[in-house]
Amino acid sequence: MLFNFDLYKIYEQLKFIPDSPLIFSTSLFLILFFFFLLIYNLFIKNKTLRLAWLILFSFYFYYKSAGYYAGILIVSAAVNFLSGKWIASTEKFSLKKLYLLLALIINLGILSYFKYTNFILQIFHDITNSQFEPLDIFLPIGISFYTFKSLNYVFDIYFDTLKPTNSFRDFCVYVFFFPNILAGPIDRASDFLPQIDKEPFISKEDLGRAIFLIILGLFKKVVIADYISINFVDRVFDFPLRYTGIENLLAIYGYVLQVYCDFSGYSDMAIGISLMFGFRLMENFNYPFKATSIANFWRRWHISLSKWLLDYLFRPLQMKYRNLRVYGNMIGIFITFLICGLWHGAGWNYIYWGAMHGFMMSFALLIQKPKTKFYNLLKINNTKFLTIIQTIITFHLVAISFMIFRSSDIQTVFDMFSQIFTFFHGEVFIQFIERLPLISGLIFLGYLFHFMPSKLENMIINQFAKTPAIGKIIILVIAIWIAAQFKTADIQPFIYFQF
Amino acid sequence: MISPELKQVILKQLNLDDFDIKDETTAPEVPGWDSLNHINIILAIEEHFKVKFKSYELLRLRCVGDLQKLLDSKLGK
Repeated sequence: MLFNFDLYKIYEQLKFIPDSPLIFSTSLFLILFFFFLLIYNLFIKNKTLRLAWLILFSFYFYYKSAGYYAGILIVSAAVNFLSGKWIASTEKFSLKKLYLLLALIINLGILSYFKYTNFILQIFHDITNSQFEPLDIFLPIGISFYTFKSLNYVFDIYFDTLKPTNSFRDFCVYVFFFPNILAGPIDRASDFLPQIDKEPFISKEDLGRAIFLIILGLFKKVVIADYISINFVDRVFDFPLRYTGIENLLAIYGYVLQVYCDFSGYSDMAIGISLMFGFRLMENFNYPFKATSIANFWRRWHISLSKWLLDYLFRPLQMKYRNLRVYGNMIGIFITFLICGLWHGAGWNYIYWGAMHGFMMSFALLIQKPKTKFYNLLKINNTKFLTIIQTIITFHLVAISFMIFRSSDIQTVFDMFSQIFTFFHGEVFIQFIERLPLISGLIFLGYLFHFMPSKLENMIINQFAKTPAIGKIIILVIAIWIAAQFKTADIQPFIYFQF
Repeated sequence: MISPELKQVILKQLNLDDFDIKDETTAPEVPGWDSLNHINIILAIEEHFKVKFKSYELLRLRCVGDLQKLLDSKLGK
């Protein structure tokens, strides 16, 4: 009886549970990944079995997160595989264009149906001032990521910079690949497909780097992002008027760090997990808060998406409007960032966020020449002083944009600003550090780690790679244990400070 | 081979005195040839050689050699 009961419990855990995707920081994933690696290594010499196992496990991984909607993956793989084949099969430009259009309609049609139907209907009802009941549409997790990932394959074939693969199996490995299916990086087919052919080789350095990235990602995601969001950031963003200006300001800094640690931590884990079985994914973050301009920020933040948008949206728009010269660039940038905002979610906050970045970057283009003249006049061009000022300004502009991103209604943004400018109470800062040492310590450490020289991180990785295997395992186990402590820690009580 | 005339148009647009531009040279290798400046270079070439490129043709260029080939095909060479 007991045995049957346990089996049923395991089955319950392994089947699709709505709103509970199989993310890397869960213990279930760690267990499943261990079994995955074990069998993968058994098949390491047999390409067919190895890839079949990878496809099967990836498909299960996505099923666990999206249920029967995992079927979309098969449709996506089939549509894009065939589109690539057809585009490459003809020399006629009009036919190539037709096949590309067809692929775009199907890919973006599926994405739009799941992601934007209710938003569009809502806008329509707002205009006509009528009542609206949202339709019950399930949003398959990661759909924006794998739709864009599959599309770059079709675009590259259309632009003749990539030859289509003849193997549907290889293409399925690319589309289904579980490490980047839920949240990127949005890898390029041109970089990924050639890796499938090679027998996986994992050097000692690779293994060290992989485990380091998994530990780093786990820390960023569970210890910093999840912990400060539940215990501090969410509370202030939910009721900004209950808190002083200094707490609002710290919550904004906390939120910026939270988004970064959450997202880049997940990318770190994806890159580390892939590396453990011989696949190299593209880098997705490069110290984004060290950016000295918004344009520079986008070369460091969510790089796989910004490169995608640059190649397949901005460049075509730029070419289309090239006769308008700098204005052509400005229009291209603004439209690209509006779409970038909408890609992040179906809501006005995302559109405002995208529009703000689009505006900042287009405006920067317009004032580029007078700005350089002004810096030269002040004799501060290319000085350390200017770099620091630019970094601080860029960081705060990004922070404001993230406030908009986070707030479902714009009133929250105004309330937070109002608290900062009219109810600051700087003296609360000392109490904050004394009463919430863990939260303030984590925020401080998070930023400290971010702003330290990148050489130092490389040194740590190299040192870690040299550590004997047993040492690596011990460090990994300790890291998982610490992450588990943070995950199961009680939520900290509310604290109101005296001022 | 990159024609001296094309090279001159590119260098003038980038305010460069000289730069060794070969067939396999890509835009990021040339100082100042970034994604924004790219349209100025394309426009300068279109104006100088009195040709008109299609966006599709421009987007598939990988290196300066490709640009030379495209230009030659427009000039009927």
